[in-house]
Amino acid sequence: MDIVIGYLPLILKGTMITVLVSVCSVVLSVVFGLLGAWGKLSGSRAANRAANAYTTLIRGVPDLVLMLLLFYGGQQILNDLGDATGMWGFLEINHFTAGVGTIGFIFGAYMTETFRGAYLAIPGGEVEAGVACGMSRLKLVVRIIWPQLVRYALPSFSNNWLVLLKTTALVSVLGLHELVYEAMTAGRSTRQLFPFLFVALTIYLVLTAFSNTGLRWLGRKYSVGIRRT
Amino acid sequence: MTVAESTDTASEGAVNDDVIVVDDLHKSFGSLEVLRGVSLRANNHDVISILGSSGSGKSTFLRCINLLETPSSGRVFVHGELIRMRESANGLVAEDKKQVERIRAKLAMVFQSFNLWSHMTVMENVIEAPIHVLGRPKAEAIELAEKVLQRVGLYDRRDYYPSHLSGGQQQRAAIARALALEPEVMLFDEPTSALDPELVGEVLSIMRGLADEGRTMLVVTHEMGFAREVSDQVMFLHQGQVEEYGPPDQVFDSPKSERFKQFLSGTLD
Repeated sequence: MDIVIGYLPLILKGTMITVLVSVCSVVLSVVFGLLGAWGKLSGSRAANRAANAYTTLIRGVPDLVLMLLLFYGGQQILNDLGDATGMWGFLEINHFTAGVGTIGFIFGAYMTETFRGAYLAIPGGEVEAGVACGMSRLKLVVRIIWPQLVRYALPSFSNNWLVLLKTTALVSVLGLHELVYEAMTAGRSTRQLFPFLFVALTIYLVLTAFSNTGLRWLGRKYSVGIRRT
Repeated sequence: MTVAESTDTASEGAVNDDVIVVDDLHKSFGSLEVLRGVSLRANNHDVISILGSSGSGKSTFLRCINLLETPSSGRVFVHGELIRMRESANGLVAEDKKQVERIRAKLAMVFQSFNLWSHMTVMENVIEAPIHVLGRPKAEAIELAEKVLQRVGLYDRRDYYPSHLSGGQQQRAAIARALALEPEVMLFDEPTSALDPELVGEVLSIMRGLADEGRTMLVVTHEMGFAREVSDQVMFLHQGQVEEYGPPDQVFDSPKSERFKQFLSGTLD
């Protein structure tokens, strides 16, 4: 126990990184998800194709493979591009940015389906009623579509968030000093992996439990007016 | 008003009393021609019932007036103002979105399936458009909402969500929402067709009240009693054309069209 307490500041720092990576990634994934859903639902054939390629590719490949590919490959492409255009010299993407970028990009594909499904669940008549009273496109989105989109997206969003939170453990492979990385470091240097991994496990459980509480609150806020049976 | 518009108006010979003038409206969905040249003139305080069997184009006609559907050709005037449309690759489109939005707010619509906003209470449904479309102050919108909700007998249900109301109550709330726009014309698209028979009466009696008040109403309906007793004019559509038009006494007692006779005997049986 004493060993664990000695390493606790390190582990808590790792936890902070995990939370930070998760929050930034989920924000990014929502942006990608909304763009993807718009692509899938738009009348433009090019946008349809791009969005379909995105979700098919990302959802069909292991996260870890993609992460390594985007991290190393992305860096290569960026530097080749810099060489070719002469606009920038050698760039090194830091681990945090790489982690957030790849996780956000991967989960954006899942969020695409979340938002697409949610949009399709909005009753068309309610949107039409807004149009018929003279609402502009912007008013419709803000007043009628968005609140309902959130309502219908929340269950699937919650699922994605929990998976995303746990997926950040994979970023340790890229060398980001998050919870798992620090737990492993502590475990290796004390030659006692088990207690530290157990601490990591507990922290993940606490994080997900907190998330669940928050998500339930959001769910209540956005599901007003729905008859519960 | 521009010169071009006033010429259009003049050529129609529209007088100020004409709240709605529809001129030779056509609408096709792909190769299916739903409306084949329908015209209509509604004076102030007119109640016009639009009848027809399913597929006759009556709902489409109503939805073309506030441009929920864009007509394939034809013109719509509201208070002498032409809704400007231009040709595009997919047929006509509205020339000026702002104009269409402004006119839509004058033509409140009541739908067959109510279409209340499910994430808002009855009160929120009623004050939504006055505040966010017409730009009324909230206090004023609430005051008006309380009046119209009393009018439809839903004042005590103002904090309920639509899903906790019966169909008849939902439709009355939808009528209140339409009234809160203080519209010049009310468009009713089969307002009682989705209701259980015992709930039809409460909605019809409110509509009767509105007609007695002198509101201009276009009502697509299957309620023959309402059409006969309440409306000033009855229009019967068949296969996208006007088959019969006139005051209810004349139309119901001595119909000229064979189709309408058949329709009447079919619905009265």
